[in-house]
Amino acid sequence: MATLNSVNISPAGQRYSPAVRESFLDAQQRNRRATWRLSALCTLAAVVMGIPLTLVVTPLIYAVILVAADITNYFWKLPASFWQFSGEIAHFGFVALNWLLESHRRHVDPTVLALGIAVMILPGILLSVVLWIAIVALFRRSGVGGALLALKAREPNQAELKELQLADVVQEMAIAAGLPAPRIMLVDAPGANAAAIGTSADDARIIVSRRLLDDLDRDELEGVLAHLIASVGNGDLRIAFRITALFETCGLLVALINSPFGPQSRRVLWRILRYSLWRSSADAAKQEAAAIADMLSRSTGMDGDDIDRFFEKRSRFRSFLTFVFFPIILTNFAIKLSLWFFSNVLLSPSLALLWHTRQYLADASAVQLTRNPDGLASALEKLKEEPGEIPGGDWAAHLFIVNPKPSGRAPTPDLRQKQTIARAWAASEPHAGAAASPIAPIAFQAMQEQLTATMRAAFAGDVQAMDRLRTLYQNVAAADPALAAQFPNPDDLFAARRGDMSARLRLRASEKKPAPQPQAQPEAANTDTSSSSTMSLVGFHSSMKRRLKRLARMGAHPNLEPSDRKGTMVAAVIYAIFAPFGLLIAGGLLFLISIMTLASLTFLVVWLAFIHEAFKLLGHA
Amino acid sequence: MSTGLIVIGVVALVLVWVVATFNRLVALRNRVQNGWAEIDVQLKRRHDLVPSLVETVRGYMEHERSVLETVTQARFGAVAAGNNVLERSVAESALTAALTGLFARVENYPQLQAVESTQLLQEQLTSIENRIAFARQFYNDEVMKYNTAQTTFPRNLFAGMLGFSSASMFTATEGDRAVAQVKLSA
Repeated sequence: MATLNSVNISPAGQRYSPAVRESFLDAQQRNRRATWRLSALCTLAAVVMGIPLTLVVTPLIYAVILVAADITNYFWKLPASFWQFSGEIAHFGFVALNWLLESHRRHVDPTVLALGIAVMILPGILLSVVLWIAIVALFRRSGVGGALLALKAREPNQAELKELQLADVVQEMAIAAGLPAPRIMLVDAPGANAAAIGTSADDARIIVSRRLLDDLDRDELEGVLAHLIASVGNGDLRIAFRITALFETCGLLVALINSPFGPQSRRVLWRILRYSLWRSSADAAKQEAAAIADMLSRSTGMDGDDIDRFFEKRSRFRSFLTFVFFPIILTNFAIKLSLWFFSNVLLSPSLALLWHTRQYLADASAVQLTRNPDGLASALEKLKEEPGEIPGGDWAAHLFIVNPKPSGRAPTPDLRQKQTIARAWAASEPHAGAAASPIAPIAFQAMQEQLTATMRAAFAGDVQAMDRLRTLYQNVAAADPALAAQFPNPDDLFAARRGDMSARLRLRASEKKPAPQPQAQPEAANTDTSSSSTMSLVGFHSSMKRRLKRLARMGAHPNLEPSDRKGTMVAAVIYAIFAPFGLLIAGGLLFLISIMTLASLTFLVVWLAFIHEAFKLLGHA
Repeated sequence: MSTGLIVIGVVALVLVWVVATFNRLVALRNRVQNGWAEIDVQLKRRHDLVPSLVETVRGYMEHERSVLETVTQARFGAVAAGNNVLERSVAESALTAALTGLFARVENYPQLQAVESTQLLQEQLTSIENRIAFARQFYNDEVMKYNTAQTTFPRNLFAGMLGFSSASMFTATEGDRAVAQVKLSA
């Protein structure tokens, strides 16, 4: 604000200048309208995705109810009206099914048809909505505390210039937006990144990585924070929370359907149940909520499934079970295939587009707050060049200003290096004789856990733990200097934590080397590689170039190369060639899904009739 | 019979609209008042900050007694100005000008600039000036929304009757314009 006239405008030729100008108020209005359009699209996508899903889920619900009723009936006779009622419902369902399958449509009474369709679809819809509400309620209660613990966030140190500046800028932007200032948390992560997280504007928090403070000047920082606070003020957190809940509901649905086949899904369900019944506000509970959310958002993936594992173990009993449960297994596949297809082709892209307009809106609002489009623009230009990696930030990737996912996989130390580290660790124990360290069975896993605990203690200010880490580092350096160079010097880590500038620079230099600290969070690294991120046609982060262009229309002067005409032409031609193939594949998948849905319906009906008759016979005998 | 129903329906619709308009205008007016109060809060914060600032730099700036004296005097003037808007804005502008003068001098003392506590103070002062500016900006934006809501058709027919009048913007005085020419931030 105060440095408005210090913005340097270099010769016009190098800077991108837009053809049209747009005021930030117009830009906001345009993006608000786009939000409405895209929300309508998302609702449509959710409905289209829901129809096949409910068509498959509803019979399963009926199956469960019918089997339960049969079992109850065996021990304790149910009234005849119940069976009559269920017979009527089944009749309506069959009428609708017949109508769907027949090639030349006979005239059917529309009320009967409507009732039939309702019978086929309503229970599934009801179940999904109930699950969604339950998920929203569950995670709203837990808030974002657990996630913050996972990120190892800390309060800013007001005695340090840059961190004081951060606190000040947040206050300034909150005043400019007329909002209460959100709490700030700092993360000591290797990437330069920032996010506003929370479930709504009331519990919003701003998360900033320390590196962002070091890399941006005051105007740029102001732009970034204006974007985040404007995003909170525009109500984006609520939207993001709903989107996450949507994906988690899908995950819960899959877990429910998988639960007869695999221990992993049962474990998730059990943890959710335990979490929702145990009322406690401790940190452990918050962490539990974060862990559950993580598991749920993962279980929609097609890989590493319980059901695959179920088939892997071959035995006579298993084959018998497979035969008996075949309709349910088929239904399971149909559900997962349609979930995977529709969420990747339809729902995720439309949600991503919706999220893009929210980002553009927040950019326009940020310009309104700072009245300095160049601050945000040059911040985005810097962030574009740098890694934005935040360990533990995957679950909220869409909330960060740039994607926090690691760009490459961290190399794990090989066996020899592991032994070196383990030996050094054993030797660093204060009361152990240096010569007594055993070489044979070294429990690297156990050592890693100890090491993580010690690091946590050291960062909390435990002098003994700090000493031990120092000894460890020296020991490793004595045995294998190259290996030691991969790790940050503990002294620098502690000094950086206190806000020492030169230590921070040394750490930065050590990061430039290929290996980022594998010791920082070994358990997190392991789980991350096992999960495949859900793929989608459109990413949740809009392209920086497009954002910069929009900022330029509002008066910023970013350094952008003029768009490459030839490149776009080539891309268009490639798209034109491959689009028919893509459509063909999509059509084929749709056909497969519809076949599977109908097949699973038919099999399920036969299966149910069989079971029902068997129970009838049992009852008569 | 049916015409009577239609008339009743139209009257009810108009009433609902008037109530909605009234509530919207009240909400906007409250935001304007809130914006004004925020400027006040930030100005008070500046009054509280000035003494510690002067204490910190006093040791290094023995030769600049007059500058420090001006700042202290200006602060007294601003605190004493009370609630009269005109007097107050003059006094606050004087304080802004005095602080600007002080910071222009501080830049001549490299050893002072190197002290960390000065840097922190300078940051605080930059921030307080920014906060005042942003509070004004917010206030003016809200005044604009409030006035637009009142003066557009058909609300302008009712706004006066319901007891709303247009609010006035916070305009910069000559002293403030001078401040804008000086780079404040570190």
